[in-house]
Amino acid sequence: MCQATNGPSRVVTKKHRKFFERHLQLLPSSHQGHDVNRMAIIFYSISGLSIFDVNVSAKYGDHLGWMRKHYIKTVLDDTENTAISGFVGSLVMNIPHATTINLPNTLFALLSMIMLRDYEYFETILDKRSLARFVSKCQRPDRGSFVSCLDYKTNCGSSVDSDDLRFCYIAVAILYICGCRSKEDFDEYIDTEKLLGYIMSQQCYNGAFGAHNEPHSGYTSCALSTLALLSSLEKLSDKFKEDTITWLLHRQVSSHGCMKFESELNASYDQSDDGGFQGRENKFADTCYAFWCLNSLHLLTKDWKMLCQTELVTNYLLDRTQKTLTGGFSKNDEEDADLYHSCLGSAALALIEGKFNGELCIPQEIFNDFSKRCCF
Amino acid sequence: MEEYDYSDVKPLPIETDLQDELCRIMYTEDYKRLMGLARALISLNELSPRALQLTAEIIDVAPAFYTIWNYRFNIVRHMMSESEDTVLYLNKELDWLDEVTLNNPKNYQIWSYRQSLLKLHPSPSFKRELPILKLMIDDDSKNYHVWSYRKWCCLFFSDFQHELAYASDLIETDIYNNSAWTHRMFYWVNAKDVISKVELADELQFIMDKIQLVPQNISPWTYLRGFQELFHDRLQWDSKVVDFATTFIGDVLSLPIGSPEDLPEIESSYALEFLAYHWGADPCTRDNAVKAYSLLAIKYDPIRKNLWHHKINNLN
Ligand SMILES: [Zn+2]
Repeated sequence: MCQATNGPSRVVTKKHRKFFERHLQLLPSSHQGHDVNRMAIIFYSISGLSIFDVNVSAKYGDHLGWMRKHYIKTVLDDTENTAISGFVGSLVMNIPHATTINLPNTLFALLSMIMLRDYEYFETILDKRSLARFVSKCQRPDRGSFVSCLDYKTNCGSSVDSDDLRFCYIAVAILYICGCRSKEDFDEYIDTEKLLGYIMSQQCYNGAFGAHNEPHSGYTSCALSTLALLSSLEKLSDKFKEDTITWLLHRQVSSHGCMKFESELNASYDQSDDGGFQGRENKFADTCYAFWCLNSLHLLTKDWKMLCQTELVTNYLLDRTQKTLTGGFSKNDEEDADLYHSCLGSAALALIEGKFNGELCIPQEIFNDFSKRCCF
Repeated sequence: MEEYDYSDVKPLPIETDLQDELCRIMYTEDYKRLMGLARALISLNELSPRALQLTAEIIDVAPAFYTIWNYRFNIVRHMMSESEDTVLYLNKELDWLDEVTLNNPKNYQIWSYRQSLLKLHPSPSFKRELPILKLMIDDDSKNYHVWSYRKWCCLFFSDFQHELAYASDLIETDIYNNSAWTHRMFYWVNAKDVISKVELADELQFIMDKIQLVPQNISPWTYLRGFQELFHDRLQWDSKVVDFATTFIGDVLSLPIGSPEDLPEIESSYALEFLAYHWGADPCTRDNAVKAYSLLAIKYDPIRKNLWHHKINNLN
């Protein structure tokens, strides 16, 4: 990817592949704290490898049996004996008589299985109805938003968990993978109107989305991706869309014009961030926000590449946060590469190349193949 | 810390060295022991003091383990009903949570757990939450979770009386703190039925003073626009604000648009953008808007030149 027409590529592809591969191997005990969300580690690694054209289904196909073990189905103790199902992040969380599946691990696992091309799993093993029922139980009836897990005993939406746009996005993405496309499809499991109401309530005054009027690129991407998956982007007013495009483009850090006045005064400004994206006003640029901002822009306007001059953000990523020695990408120029920023930095570059499905965060070609093979 | 006896608990050991495992983690012996016990107690749903103690130890090694927060909450709810003094019991739990919060600034479960405790508390108090909020903001003045929690408290306690002063203090420390600026907007949006014209005029003066101090700062300009739109039906101050913004752009509007080198420096691109937005709304001043956007594209904010051209297209 990003192969210049002449001269060698600036992308250290081989190093990146090695970086992602390493995360699928033996990890030191310092990763214990992430054990509960191990599906996230697997997803970021496999997505990163897929972006760099590694045939992950051939390379990791042997691990499908182990992956499938993370899918847990529970028959509820109600009159209809209804079942719910989903994934745990790690088998450590598989505890008898306790419901521990959660939405993020479920989405990460499903996307990983799609990338591993385990189509048999989707066609014959995965129980989409009970999975969708689990999603449905995570919706808060009062607000329309989603929490990420159920009470381990009562199987009602957890009253200890938070609800926000991330979990709304994850819930809708899972249903989309289960085959929901039209509003009627979604309505079979969730209160779509109420969810849309919640999303609209997270619009901020000057464009973009966030909690209580503090706009945030990550939440903005979640909100817009959710609306896109629900085919509901047209619910946004033209003014709000225009304000959001303007807000997103303002997240691109610049060292030119009047912006350079900030270098002496603003402790969260660095001229060398030029071209990169920040998550909020007056923050340093950060690799992951290149993806969140570009994905948001790409959902709002077909002119997104021209508007943000993608060569500038490409330069920021390749020259500033790509780690040419170790592979991977770091959050900024100071830290070491980490898995999350490596995946999202690579994803941003793939999105620019038109090879990436930003709504689901996997390569477009993989999603196309999945849709062709598994039409439910 | 009290020592509890778990010797009668039959642990549910975690399986290790599975075939075809991905991301195999080299667990420490301590982690294996704690998880083995926790899995057993969760499975039995034992709601006891020793279970509570164990959840604290698990949270110490794996704060992202969502079920453990849920489990702890169920233990607290159960033991609270058995304790003689519910308030004291829940306050002790909040004290414990304060310590955990300080050690896990990026964890978000903590904040929703805290909300659940306050909802359970017979006499919750905003004042009790202020010290931990202050410590967390002192540590990271833009921590999104902490700000969201503060806003949740304002709504939960219907108490906004300290918010403007609080935001002012933080803006005093760092005039670029966008979280503090957006907190002001949160204040007005939620308090707007009970505010006077004097308060609004004071707020406008506050914004203008801060812009005067540092004109090239996106936060107060964005806030100014939002504030103006929020109260557009309440106060007529367009000309005052426009005159104010104009003082930051020199005489560039009257100069011919030549090459960037021929144009003088101005104090604030945001002032120019603010004016362009304002002028663009009125057909009589549309030409000014086009010129302002052109100037932004050529010299004052060139990275967004295609955005400015797009704005010009929208005007035509
Ligand atoms: Zn980041």
